This record gives sequence, C-alpha cells and structure tokens, in this order.
Amino acid sequence: MIALDQVSKSYDGVSRIINNLSLEVLEGEILILLGSSGCGKSTILKMINRLIDPTEGRIYLDGKDIQQQDPIELRRSLGYVFQGIGLFPHLSIRENISMVPHLLGWPEDRINNRYRELLELVQLSPEIHADRFPDELSGGQQQRVAVARALAADPDYLLMDEPFGALDAITRDSLQQEFLDLKQRLNKTIIFVTHDIIEAVTLGDRIAILHEGRLEQIGTPEEILENPATDFVRELFAKSVKFWKGFKSIS
Amino acid sequence: MKTTSLTDYIIERLPEIWQRIGEHIFLTGISTLTAVFVGIPLGILAFYRPGLRGPLLGIVSILQTIPSLAMLVILLALFQKIGVIPAIVALILYALLPIVRNTLAALQGIAPEIIEAARGIGMTEWQKMRLIRIPLGIPVIMAGIRTASVAGVGIATLAAFIGAGGLGEFINRGLALSNTRLIFLGAIPAALLALLVDFVLGFIEKVCDPKRNRHWSHRFRFALKLSIVLIPLFLLIPVFISFSPWSSQTAGSSEKNETKGINVVRIASKNFTEQLILAEMMAQMIEKRTHLSVDRKFNLGGTIICHEALKRGEIDLYAEYTGTGLMAILKLPAMNNPDEVYHRVSEEYLNRFNLVWLEPFGFNNTYTLTVRKQDAVQNQWKIISDLIPMSSKLVAGFSGEFQERPDGYPGFQEIYGFKFGEVHDLDPGLIYQALAKGAVDVIDGYLTDGRIPAYNLISLKDDKKFFPPYYAAPVVREEVLSAYPDLREALAPLGSLIDNTTMRALNYEVNGNRRGISELVTEFLQDKEVL
Ligand SMILES: Nc1ncnc2c1ncn2[C@@H]1O[C@H](COP(=O)(O)OP(=O)(O)OP(=O)(O)O)[C@@H](O)[C@H]1O
Ligand SMILES: [Mg+2]
Repeated sequence: MIALDQVSKSYDGVSRIINNLSLEVLEGEILILLGSSGCGKSTILKMINRLIDPTEGRIYLDGKDIQQQDPIELRRSLGYVFQGIGLFPHLSIRENISMVPHLLGWPEDRINNRYRELLELVQLSPEIHADRFPDELSGGQQQRVAVARALAADPDYLLMDEPFGALDAITRDSLQQEFLDLKQRLNKTIIFVTHDIIEAVTLGDRIAILHEGRLEQIGTPEEILENPATDFVRELFAKSVKFWKGFKSIS
Repeated sequence: MKTTSLTDYIIERLPEIWQRIGEHIFLTGISTLTAVFVGIPLGILAFYRPGLRGPLLGIVSILQTIPSLAMLVILLALFQKIGVIPAIVALILYALLPIVRNTLAALQGIAPEIIEAARGIGMTEWQKMRLIRIPLGIPVIMAGIRTASVAGVGIATLAAFIGAGGLGEFINRGLALSNTRLIFLGAIPAALLALLVDFVLGFIEKVCDPKRNRHWSHRFRFALKLSIVLIPLFLLIPVFISFSPWSSQTAGSSEKNETKGINVVRIASKNFTEQLILAEMMAQMIEKRTHLSVDRKFNLGGTIICHEALKRGEIDLYAEYTGTGLMAILKLPAMNNPDEVYHRVSEEYLNRFNLVWLEPFGFNNTYTLTVRKQDAVQNQWKIISDLIPMSSKLVAGFSGEFQERPDGYPGFQEIYGFKFGEVHDLDPGLIYQALAKGAVDVIDGYLTDGRIPAYNLISLKDDKKFFPPYYAAPVVREEVLSAYPDLREALAPLGSLIDNTTMRALNYEVNGNRRGISELVTEFLQDKEVL
C-alpha cells in the first residue's frame, strides 16, 4: 500500500504545487490521478519515487516512510513508465528492458528469459524487435517497451505517467484494452496518471481528481459520477456523462 | 653541388623522413593519449563540480593561448631539460582544452528526460555516467580528441626547436639554411599526417557513435572497439621502444654513455649555418682522430638552450662566441680587446660552470648592421653613423635574440643614440632574404654570413666600436675533457684555422651553392690537411 500523508510540494518556496494532499492507494488497485495539465500529477509520482522530495508531509510504502529508505533501492523496486517514454536511445530494446535486472545483478540467463517473456507480454516479438533501437519502433511500440521496462524486475508497484498520452485515439484504445488484460494477469498496484477522462473511467478502479494542488474527490468512477463532490468535478464530468452512460450499458 | 632531382633528393632522405615521421607520431600520439586520460576525467570533474568549471576551463583556455614557442621555452626552464619531455608536456597542455571542453559539453548535452529516466529506474551517479552520459556523449568527446590530435600534429613541428625531433627537424634545418626544399620536406609530410589523423579519427568517431552502425553484430562492434583501444597502443609500443634510445640520449647524462660501453660525445649547435658547419667540423675531427663516437644534437633553438643543456650535462660541447659568452651568458659589460674578452670568458666559465673554452677557430663573427649594396651606394653609407639622417624612415628586421641582448639593439641605441622607424622581429633564417627582397632596409647580419655576398648585401663598419668581438671557439664540459683527454688534442688543429673570409666562403657554399655540410666539411678539412 502506498500512502501520502499531508504532502505538500513547492518548487519556489512560495506557491504550493501540491497542497496538503493525503491519499491511499490500495493493494492491487489501479488508482487514476486525473487532472488538467500542470496540476502536479507527475510531481506526485516523482515524490513517490524520490526523484524529488516533498516539502512537507510523509509518504509511506507498505507502512515504511520512504525518506528512511535508500533511494536507489526504492527506485529499483518501483516500476516507472515515464511521461514521454524515456527509453535510452543508444540501447537496443533488449538492453532497455534488461537494464533494471542488469542493475540488480541478475544472472545473464535469467535476464535473457525475462526480456523475451516481457516482449511477448506486451505483444512484441523477441525475434523482430529485441535488437531494434527505440527510434526504429512506432510510438505505440515504444510505449509497450516502456511498460515492459517498468515491469522488468517484477515490481509490486507500477507508476505510470500518461503512458498512452502521445498516441492517436485508435492505438490508445487498443493499448488500453491490452493494458486491462495485462492487469488481470499481473495483479499489481498501479498509479496511473492521465488527463483524459475517458481513459480514467475505462481503466480506473478508483479515480483521484486533482485541481490546483488539492484533492477534489477520490472514489470509484460510479461514485464520482453519481455524487460529484465539488463544482469542479461536476463540470469536468458533465461532458462525459453521455459517454459514461453508453459505457455502462455495454458492460 | 649541382641540384639533384627532386626524386633523388627525397629518396636520399627517405630513411630520415621515416624516422622523423615515427618521432612525430610518437610525440603527437603519446601526448594526445595522455591528454585523453587527463582531460576526460577533468571534464567529468568539471561536470560534477560547477564551482570548479570556470577556473578549470579558464586555466586550460589560457594554456591554449600561450604561443607555442613561448610554451616550449617556459617548459624548458621548468624541466631544466631539452628534448622529448618538455615537448610532450607542451603538447599535452595544448590538447587539454578541446578534450576537457568537449567532454563537459557532451555530458551536459544529454536530454534531461533521458537522465531523469536513468535516475528514476534506480541508476547510481556512476552508472548514469558509465551507461548513459558517456556512451551518448562519445561522438562529441571524440570530436574533441580529433581536434586535439590534428592540432597536435601541427604544433609538434615546433618540438624540434628544443631537440625533440619530429618533422620539425627538417623545417628547422630548412630555416637555418634558408633551404625551401628542406622546409617542404618537413611541412608536407606533417600536413599529410594531419589529414590522415583527421581521417582515421573521423572514422573512429563514426564507429563510436551509438546512433550509427548499431546493427553491426555485437561481436563485431566489440572487436572494433577493442581494436580502437589496442591499435594505438600496439602502434605506440614499438615506436616507443625503438625511440627510447633516442629519448634517453636526449635526456641522458655522461654516466649513461659509459654504462652503455661506448664513449659518446654529444655535440650541439645553434640553429644557423655557421654553427652547423663548426659543429660538423668538430664532430668529424673527433670521429677521425679519437675512438669516441659522436652524437649530433644539432639545430637547438639558440644560445640559452645550448648553454643550459651544456651546463646540465645533456650535451658535451658546442661552439660559442666570446662576445656572446661575455654579455649574454655572463652578463658582463662590453669589452673591446679580443684577447681580454677571451681570457675573461675562459676564466669565468671555468669558475662558474666548469666549462672550458678551447682555442678559437680564428674568425670574428660579430654583429654588424647590414644593408642592400645598392642602397649603400646610392646613399653613400659606409659606417653605421651614416644611417642617422634617415634612421626614422628605415625599417629594421632584427632577430629576436638581437632585440633582447645587451650587446644587441638595446645597447646599440644607447651608444649610437638613434632608433629605427620600425623594427620587425624576424627569424634569423629569413632575415637576409627579407632584406634582399626589400621587406626591410636594415638587418642584424653576422659578419661572416655567406648570404651577405650571396644576396648582394653589404655590412656597415661599426664606427663607435659598439659590438664586442665574437670569436668562435669550442666550449666543452671539463668533466668530459678529463674523461677523454684526447678530445682536446683532436680539436687542437681547428685552432686559428679559419679566418673571416674563409668562414664567409664556407657559409656561402652552404647557403648560396646548396652544398651538403658534411661533405663540404670533409673536403675542407682534407684540404687543410688536418683530418
Ligand atoms: N523542476 C521544477 N521547477 C519548478 N517548477 C516545476 C518543476 N517541475 C514542475 N514544475 C511546475 O509544477 C507544476 C506541476 O508540474 P507537473 O509536471 O507535476 O504537472 P503535470 O500535472 O504532470 O502536468 P502534465 O499533464 O502537463 O504532465 C507545473 O506548473 C510545473 O510548471
Ligand atoms: Mg506530467
């Protein structure tokens, strides 16, 4: 379980990007962080990973304060799909995926089995894609590789920062479906950042809606839709209600 | 001597050309390699310590702006040594800037998203450096190494100035003898070498670029990278071994000569024709008349370099001029009587430096102001004071040494009470040509210089007797004289053998008629029946 306890973050010492945020991510769920651009979604993920430190408050991972943990070990134990992918351009797909196991000192044959397994898991072919380089894949394929890299060391937690953000609608749809399948099989606890409401309701077990550094509402898609806590949430969902109704009737 | 055809000329010198190319590669290679091993860590340090960045880059940039010759002379003073070591250090210092700067730029130039991803997946600082920054920065770092190497090939031509060999040897000798062919013999291979280095490193740069050639099989890439590291080493090791006698000679001392079992006398000369002739004469006399063998370390940069090398025992003898000894070395006031000067100099040299002046060769190669004969006739110039009325309109071309020495231009202005309108600093090798071609009007000629008649020039009489006598004589380390008593004997016949006219003629044979020095000297000595 990941818990944020009254976390605030300010880059300049004056304005708070994140303001007194408390949040719990439950075991095995997908929690969506939903909010408009610049509201601090990436900042939250980076604080959980200790890429940046909160100005105030504490973050707990399985009950332990992450400030007390070695940041290198912490980061290796969390899978992270970076906003804008962040694959290493000079390394092949195989090398990119194998990086964390390599850093963890896995034996060579275990790494070799693992990257094949992962490529197949994200629907890529070890024969065709393993020795390519990131810029020789399509955008969607790169996203798959980024997910595979995050899963490489089989972490319990997955931080995903708009993993499907830069894709066209068709590709995004199919990746979302694959992702749901994947999630069934993997049983991970996932924090998934998006500013796309449809993606949020499609993928999320629960959604946390952020606005100006504050948590507006957290709950299942149904709860939020039926009981929007604030005007902001109401307006945000108003446009999507039609879609949501359609979605519900299908499922 | 008839001018030989160009091909014969080159073929004759082919072994030496190869040797000099070898030395040149060695000098450039070892110094660039060292600069890589020093510069890349410095670049990394500058990257991690922004506080150090400014000072560090400042220092390496300043080093770069020091003129090459000045740098060599400074290092010479610092190391108290002629030869390979100061030359290599100078080359290393010059190579640092492009390598440090490009390393820093390479490390800073990596996209921040990539670095964030590397940090985010749990790389340590060192892993980020080794796995991400350096591999991605390699093309930029390689470009710096390439810049440094190509510049190094050029700068290394100056190494000959302090006796470190290389293709600059030919250029130096060519300048000393005003022989254009010799200059080209050094300059053209040096230029070709620079192009070759540029090409080879350009290729390596492409191979190392992670964005190219990446589909070459891993084994091939590995082999290629390995060979990039190993080939230069394999190239350098044999070069190093084969030149180590050469480098130890330069740095060697007389004890070393004896441990080798051969008795070697190291003869030096300054970098102009007369010095080369005198040095060759002494060398041939010693070779023929003793069992000693001779190591010719000709063409060193100038008086101070020869004198310092002699004092430190890096060379055993060279020909010096009494006036130079008196004023430039001992810093004593000028004197006019030649015998008095000789005795004073002999005494002081022995007391201060343990150096012995042997009997003078006989001629007096004093400075003199030299002008075009045609100007002298037209303006009726005979003595130096005749120049006074026109002095402010005259352009002088003086060697650097003349401009600085108390018995040169500074003292001259005091005694004669006038200055020239403009003074240009010229290489002693080019000075006569500059006068003959009309680039300057007055030069500091040597009385015995063969180029005075050759270029139709004329020397003016020193009417105020400002220039002290400059009788040339061998100066030898006392230690060497007592170790090899027959040395004095062997050189004795050269005493008073050469008068001013003879010396001028010999100089002219070399500069005007392009005779080979060793052949000319042999012929002369046989003619005089002293060999
Ligand atoms: N290193 C930094 N220094 C100062 N301000 C920063 C820094 N990083 C982010 N910010 C600011 O913090 C705010 C939140 O940034 P963050 O990247 O968390 O937004 P986001 O919600 O992920 O937005 P997006 O959906 O566009 O990715 C933004 O206003 C941004 O300008
Ligand atoms: Mg973001």
